[in-house]
Amino acid sequence: MNMKGDRKYIWIFLFPMAAFLTIFLYYPFFKSLYFSFFRTKGFFDKKFIGWDNYDRLVHDKLLGAATLHTLEIMVYVIIFQVGIALLLAVMVDNIPKLKGFYRSVFFFPVVISGTAISLLFVLFYNYNFGLLNSVLAGMGLEKVLWLSESNALRAIAVPTVWHYVGFYFVLFVTAMSKIPEDYYDAAKIEGISGFKKMVKLTVPLIMSDVKVVITLAITGTLKVFDFVWVISRAQNGTDVLGTYMYKKAMVDQNFGYGSTVAIYMVVLGVVIALLANRLLKTEEITY
Amino acid sequence: MKKSSMVLLSTMLSFSVLLGACGKAEEKNTASETPKTETETPKTETEAPKKDVSLRVFSTFGGTDTAREAFQAALDEFTSKNPNVKIENDTMSANDDGFRTKVNTDMNSGNEPDLLFYFVGTDAQGFVDAGKVVPLNDLLDADAEWKNGFSPAALENTRQKDGNIYAVPLTGFYEGLFVNKKIFADNNLELPTDWDKMKTAVSTLSKKGIIPLAAPFDQSHYVIEHFILSAAGSKGHNAGLADGIDPNWEKGYAAMKELYDLGAFPKDAATIDLSMASNYFGEGKAAMIIEGSWAMGNWKDANVIDNTTVMPFPAMPGGLGTGKDVIGGFGSGFYLSKSTYDNADKKDAAVALLKHMTSPAVIEKIALANGGTPAAANVQIKGANQTATDGFAMAASATSVNNPIDSMVAPETFSTLRAGVQAVVTGKKSPADVLKEAKNIEDQNKK
Repeated sequence: MNMKGDRKYIWIFLFPMAAFLTIFLYYPFFKSLYFSFFRTKGFFDKKFIGWDNYDRLVHDKLLGAATLHTLEIMVYVIIFQVGIALLLAVMVDNIPKLKGFYRSVFFFPVVISGTAISLLFVLFYNYNFGLLNSVLAGMGLEKVLWLSESNALRAIAVPTVWHYVGFYFVLFVTAMSKIPEDYYDAAKIEGISGFKKMVKLTVPLIMSDVKVVITLAITGTLKVFDFVWVISRAQNGTDVLGTYMYKKAMVDQNFGYGSTVAIYMVVLGVVIALLANRLLKTEEITY
Repeated sequence: MKKSSMVLLSTMLSFSVLLGACGKAEEKNTASETPKTETETPKTETEAPKKDVSLRVFSTFGGTDTAREAFQAALDEFTSKNPNVKIENDTMSANDDGFRTKVNTDMNSGNEPDLLFYFVGTDAQGFVDAGKVVPLNDLLDADAEWKNGFSPAALENTRQKDGNIYAVPLTGFYEGLFVNKKIFADNNLELPTDWDKMKTAVSTLSKKGIIPLAAPFDQSHYVIEHFILSAAGSKGHNAGLADGIDPNWEKGYAAMKELYDLGAFPKDAATIDLSMASNYFGEGKAAMIIEGSWAMGNWKDANVIDNTTVMPFPAMPGGLGTGKDVIGGFGSGFYLSKSTYDNADKKDAAVALLKHMTSPAVIEKIALANGGTPAAANVQIKGANQTATDGFAMAASATSVNNPIDSMVAPETFSTLRAGVQAVVTGKKSPADVLKEAKNIEDQNKK
């Protein structure tokens, strides 16, 4: 077969996906861009207002706060989610048996919907009859307001981090299983083991995967919505970009400004992801 | 089986993917198209067997709604009498704002339900102005029996600004201060009929570790309405923010802070939602809650519901409220889509269903289930329990019955007012600042 014929099939097979993405991703994106220049009143009425929405964006203190909250969660996610996943992966990689068992156990939370987990945590954190306060009361201690203004965001970060640890864990385990055994044999001969082996050998060898995971974690954090919305209703200093955009677009029915916030989120996400890639720049390793 | 068949196969494959993606839309088209072709055949017989019609009814009678079963039963009654009609009972919970989005996107994208049960007033203005629903005036006038079944006041309450009635009401609602009498009696407190008694109750209960007033900051719709109604009176409340800020509104917000400082709100008021607040009251952990008539169906504990009464929110010193003003009305009703009305096959069935669902018998059943005021003329007002009876008495003796504030201001304005509650009670913002902010948003919406 010649290459020309092959290309035709490639085009044909690529078409459905391209069409799908155009309809469900690019079209809505450009539509949002279009809407960001309008003041909308409900669903049936809109008026062109030029750069007014962007002007509001720049001066919006609530948006600034939402950005900071999102960045704070991002820090937690990168340190704890990726960190714990890496740690678990290294440990599981070092045990001879039950790897499959641990993989399933750690992966399981990813399968549960974020809303379900959030509802679970609502019942943990509730001040009046939550699990945590019941335990405290049982021990004769003072009840704690878990979702107080100073603590709410961290309280929400806990399930957010926990939910996806398993996903990154599986990515790390898979990456580690690709490392050829001879590297470890060599390490053994050299007498390197334990923590040193992890830092000097395993992690550098899967650095490209770590980069992918961090990029995924960053973009994933920008989309956090369900945990915040269900656990704290985005109150008490927990408003993140996802919930702020939703409130503006859906609750306030101000689709124009909501779209502007969405565009801002896309730009911010691209910038942070590029920045992270630049910072983590390393040589590609081929085995 | 070489090139040509491969091309065919792959094209089919890609088409099947596309079809799969828009399968739902296709279904709808065929459903509405097939009957049309049937009408083209000349009608020779008058007694032709009725064609199969399928209707979609969208409402909020789902989820935890107390009238969910009564509503489904009324639909079933219709389908058993009219076996050719299939009804899709499409519902979404009214607890969050999601259903508004759903209704509006449906209306805006040519996916209108045949019958829609939804709010009247500002909420409906968009699709009413866009001509998505038909005025029901002529239909009502043509059927005296149906029209006379409604109480005139109820029907009047659903009239849109343009003078037409687009929605026929089912049950009305009232909001009020629900009080757990037992908690008050146990603590030697008088019921909060005036502001001083309210303050005494709040400070006494809060010292004893009982939540005085179960109210969330974020979903503070009812809190805002009642504090402002009490402070600004019926006229001030109903003026909204369009023509300036009524200085009495500030008093309403200041009164929230006054009660908050006495410990009125739950400790976690900032992060709970309305259903959790209702939960606190229903579990007997809170002494008072400002809620609507529909909420009492969710309080199942006999200790609570049998000891609950409802009263108007008390007047505050310096305020213009009478202490007998009530938020309520017939804020919702059934709409008939224009597209259904213009569809010869669906029209008769949809109108018949509309008349059935708003017949006095159905109205009575729904009213009994959700504790609302029946919109029918000759239906005896009786409550399912003492609380509901108290509620009807409260609504009957009210000096004014007012539509809620969120039907008078833009949604974004109302969000600003809601966000202002926590800021004011915790002292981060002054009432005047919050109202200025809201007024600013309202003006931008008017542009």
